[in-house]
Amino acid sequence: MEALLTSLKGALLLCGQLFCIIVPLTIFYEFLKTRQASLAGKKRALMGISGRGLVPLVTGIIIGITYGAGVIIHSIRSTDIRKREAFLILLYLSVCHAIIEDTLIFVVIGANVLILLGVRFFLATLLTYLASLVGRDRLR
Amino acid sequence: MSGRVGREMGETLKRGFQNGLSITVEMVKVIIPFYLIVELIRHLGLIGFIGGLFRPFMSLFGLPGESALALIAGYTANLYGAIAVLKPLHLSSRDVTTIALMLGLAHSLPVETPITRKTGVNAWLLLAVRISLSLLAGMALNLAWKLF
Repeated sequence: MEALLTSLKGALLLCGQLFCIIVPLTIFYEFLKTRQASLAGKKRALMGISGRGLVPLVTGIIIGITYGAGVIIHSIRSTDIRKREAFLILLYLSVCHAIIEDTLIFVVIGANVLILLGVRFFLATLLTYLASLVGRDRLR
Repeated sequence: MSGRVGREMGETLKRGFQNGLSITVEMVKVIIPFYLIVELIRHLGLIGFIGGLFRPFMSLFGLPGESALALIAGYTANLYGAIAVLKPLHLSSRDVTTIALMLGLAHSLPVETPITRKTGVNAWLLLAVRISLSLLAGMALNLAWKLF
């Protein structure tokens, strides 16, 4: 019985710690969502991703796939983003998304921030860049 | 004019807070059962058995066998489930970093894969990329820990 109580206390403490991370983030996310349209104006294409593609890309990197699903799906389907570009965006996001939350919740139990962030950014950028080279000539 | 801006900010703040609360409710529903199950397994002395079962596989990543439970929880449920499993296992900071990297690359797969599919891209290919990267990155980081 005492062991159960100790366990429950541990679980509740963890919930409390995560609550303190989640609520400020969701508030920050809502403010971001009100400003995301300003991203679409950027003209330059990076890794095969255009200015319009920055809306779902940046939303996913910061807010995440589950929580940013509405924005990501809508911003890809409602604009004329090509299938190829959509794939590059989702490839990047598959590897690297929700970077603030995903990183912080593991820091709570002792993970190394720099390794988590560095490796995900590096792998996502490298893979997306390589994928953007594949089949590029066919489009010219 | 400034009254309208203030009201909009207040509404954004409220929406963010409400979203935070509903995510917290979902999180608590995952964390409490996962955490208690792992504690129960530990008290029943079954950790050694589970650890032995998964040791050959998890040793590829330099991780103790029982941490496979966190990997399974993270891949199939979500990262909250994985954390709830990891905390009672009391792994070293090095091991937590390795498994956190693996889980960061692939998690919540039954939820995130259908979302990816809805954008119209090849979600199965991306699922394969995520799982392979997760496993490869775990092995690579294990090698890096050994070398440096």
